[in-house]
Amino acid sequence: MTATTRRTRLFDRLTRVAGAVVLVLILGFLLLPPLFVGVLSFANQEHFGFPPQEWGFRQYIEIGDSPAWGRAVLYSIGLAVPVAVLSVLIVVPAVLAIERSKLPGRRGIQAAGMSSLIIPIVAYAVAMYGVYAEVGLLGSYLGLVLANTILAIPFVLVTAGAALSQIPPDLELAAMTFGASRFRAWWQITLPLLLPAIFAGSLLAFVTSFDEAVFINFLGGAGQVTLPKAIFDSVRIGVDPVITAISTIFMVATSALMYLVARLRRR
Amino acid sequence: MSHDDGTEYVLDIQGVSKRYGATTALDDVSLRIIPGEFLTLLGPSGSGKTTLLRLIIGFDTPTSGRILLNGDDISLLPPGERGIGMVFQNYALFPHMTVAQNIAYGLRLRKWPRRRRDERVDEMLQLMRLGDYGGRAITALSGGQQQRVALARALAYDPKILIMDEPLGALDRELRLQMEEEIRRIHRDLGTTFIYVTHDQQEALALSDRIAIMRGGDIVGVGSPEELFYRPRSAFVARFFANSNVLPAEVLSTDGASARVTVGGSEVDCAVHGSLESAQRALAVRRRILARKKVTPSLRVEGEVAETLLFGDEREVVVRTEQFGRVTALMEARTTTDIAVGQRIELFAPAGELVLVEDDRGES
Repeated sequence: MTATTRRTRLFDRLTRVAGAVVLVLILGFLLLPPLFVGVLSFANQEHFGFPPQEWGFRQYIEIGDSPAWGRAVLYSIGLAVPVAVLSVLIVVPAVLAIERSKLPGRRGIQAAGMSSLIIPIVAYAVAMYGVYAEVGLLGSYLGLVLANTILAIPFVLVTAGAALSQIPPDLELAAMTFGASRFRAWWQITLPLLLPAIFAGSLLAFVTSFDEAVFINFLGGAGQVTLPKAIFDSVRIGVDPVITAISTIFMVATSALMYLVARLRRR
Repeated sequence: MSHDDGTEYVLDIQGVSKRYGATTALDDVSLRIIPGEFLTLLGPSGSGKTTLLRLIIGFDTPTSGRILLNGDDISLLPPGERGIGMVFQNYALFPHMTVAQNIAYGLRLRKWPRRRRDERVDEMLQLMRLGDYGGRAITALSGGQQQRVALARALAYDPKILIMDEPLGALDRELRLQMEEEIRRIHRDLGTTFIYVTHDQQEALALSDRIAIMRGGDIVGVGSPEELFYRPRSAFVARFFANSNVLPAEVLSTDGASARVTVGGSEVDCAVHGSLESAQRALAVRRRILARKKVTPSLRVEGEVAETLLFGDEREVVVRTEQFGRVTALMEARTTTDIAVGQRIELFAPAGELVLVEDDRGES
């Protein structure tokens, strides 16, 4: 072994170690805060303090005692379910038009659907505020469902679009040689094959709506309290350690849903 | 339906063209298909065979011309109303259905009663030697088995014509040869008209009753495998179908069935099959007729061995000649063990096997 190759090897090893260190730092940076919140949620205390003096389930019991949290969760679910359904109903026909038709402007539909992902959400919210004030949707349930649907659409569009591009168009043509119309071919062949992706997309839409914390502050009215809004409000008044428990449940539930999405998409 | 020569055609393609914007994919194509025959559309990619197939099955409509099925104009009918079955390149089986459900799909759409449907599915499973595979998932099948299911599904409702689009492309060599035999057998057993699309001349040779060779949106030769292989009319057919050598030639005299030509400075007699259209002439020399044994009369080819490739029983020998450029010979391998790259070699092609063709190589 020459000196040069030895030096190259040493350099390779150093690069690998440095890479591992950077990876650990990034993961730590990403995961430590939620982990910290999770740990704190098991501290029995009325005010934040670190390290906690006593461990227990006080914060979780607290949630059960105050009906406001439960109401907020229910209100969030009540928003997220119609958002998931509505975005699927909009996206599935759109994605068929984008991937399977020669409709002029189909790429435009795609771009429009993705726009809420690109436009800064606060700017979007300000614009929506203006529009909603005009048409009288401010503070309305319908207004929130529509706004959150706009946010959810890109996720369903990407999930369903990716799945559809994996389904050979020949399957539809084959069905048509047997006498199926194009719509029948979509209904009997393409849609059943698309179902796991549609379900994954609807879960993503659900989570997107459930997590939404900006639109609700601009467009929501009195009494429209979603879980993120309730957390915001509680922090604004004074930091109640209960939110550590709320946040932990929130994170675990969301992670579980995302795991489900990943499983569905792998099929 | 009866035509002047007394033959009935199951499919009559009359002057069909297809243009996409400025590009012409099919240019005034006519072809008549006899009931029960196995016809292959053979051509390189981009020759228009897929376009023609799409027009026959109904995924597209012709820009001009018409297609008659048993005398009825079907040019504008949707695919499902034509009664033509199709096997797709990658089978296009429905992955969320079982084997039996796949085969029954067309029967269900045609509203066959359940009892009759089940009987037919069993019958097709037997025909395809798929036995008790009916309940299996498509994803649990091998490539060859999927191929059979695709055939069974397309044939189940007894279509007037079955179209197959490069159905063996995805299979490995051994399975392909096996499936070729299977397809021949099924064709014999059913007597359905088969239209087979491929770019593989070996497949076309092995399977077909007749072959239509396509090039640049046109059919440039139609005939039995023997006709096209041994008696080609054009340089393209000779080269594409039989890998023949094509040597530019000039006609000195002709009496219709044979001609005397000069090729590369030497004079030789050769065969002529039918009338030739273009003025340009060439001599088609099949690789297999070139041998070292001197025969008279014959075409003599002399040059330096540039390359040899062993194919098993045969060896391909590429000779670089001053007279004709590169000439390829296919010889019995046992007789060629002494041939080495770089050595001089003298080959003879018997005059009776030489074929005068029109030289269409310059055309697109």
